Amino acid sequence: MVLSKAVDFAVLNWNAWAPGVSSREDWLGGKAFVQAEKAALPATAPKTLQRRLSPLARAVFNAADGCRDGDKTLPIVFSSAHGEVNKSLEMLQSMQKGEEVSPTAFSLSVHNAISGLFSIAYANHQEITVIAPGQDGIAPAFIEALGLLQEHHSEVLMVLYDEPLSDFYPSQPFALNGPAVCALALRISLAGNGLPMRFSRSPARRDDGEHALQIFSFLKFLVSDDKALALGNHRHSWEWYKK
Amino acid sequence: MENELKQLIIDTLELEDISVADIDSHAPLFNDGLGLDSIDALELGLAIRKKYDVKIDAEKEDAVKIFSSVSTLAEYIQAARG
Repeated sequence: MVLSKAVDFAVLNWNAWAPGVSSREDWLGGKAFVQAEKAALPATAPKTLQRRLSPLARAVFNAADGCRDGDKTLPIVFSSAHGEVNKSLEMLQSMQKGEEVSPTAFSLSVHNAISGLFSIAYANHQEITVIAPGQDGIAPAFIEALGLLQEHHSEVLMVLYDEPLSDFYPSQPFALNGPAVCALALRISLAGNGLPMRFSRSPARRDDGEHALQIFSFLKFLVSDDKALALGNHRHSWEWYKK
Repeated sequence: MENELKQLIIDTLELEDISVADIDSHAPLFNDGLGLDSIDALELGLAIRKKYDVKIDAEKEDAVKIFSSVSTLAEYIQAARG
């Protein structure tokens, strides 16, 4: 895929979860988040897995489940800047206290932990990628998903998610922390019935914060009447255009 | 001992909907029975070591036998503690 060119695709369906947010107006208006709220779990999630789902994993399951097309399993691109790093921090802190590390906590702290739980819950044996985009925001997930579509997959599910980092980590002067847990799932294809979009490089040099913030920007763009959204973080900038 | 172990299993593995009475001492703990998996076995091994100071080596061949039910687990712990 030549990224100096624009790539057309269609958003067939999308669904998002953040605590206390439910309507288009909520996403648009920056409604106050109900931080304590937990995402409801889809009935599909087996009981033995449910106990292992963190608040972030529940948000992912909730958002992705609302994007499903019947029982069809799709290749998935997960993308998260921080993943379950708060869990890793808890483990490190318990090690510091001389406590033994819980094998369960360890298994759920790795960056692809949620994707693993998801693939088990839905018996999904398709190609699944988990991106840690660092400072590069949500664009790498789109590049990966569009690449899969070019490789003749007819549809790809994307799930972008992040939660606020523990206070332990310095957040200033970096724009890397979102205001709440958030998961956005998008089912996309190269063409089809849905919202037609065009993805391309943008020459603009801009700073829109990192992944956790860009998810909210993209969500606002999805529900708004805006035609174009540009997002960048120092190095590269990208544009999404509603055709 | 068996009931104490059942409570330990429930607490350690966060089996919210299950009570001591629901666990059959002779039923398999893994796969078919309670539906536990290998990570649960490691977690349970750690909890048993902490509580009873008994180490069950997961690599040892008889680990599968020891973990097969609450009853076999209780027997092993009692024998190991002397």
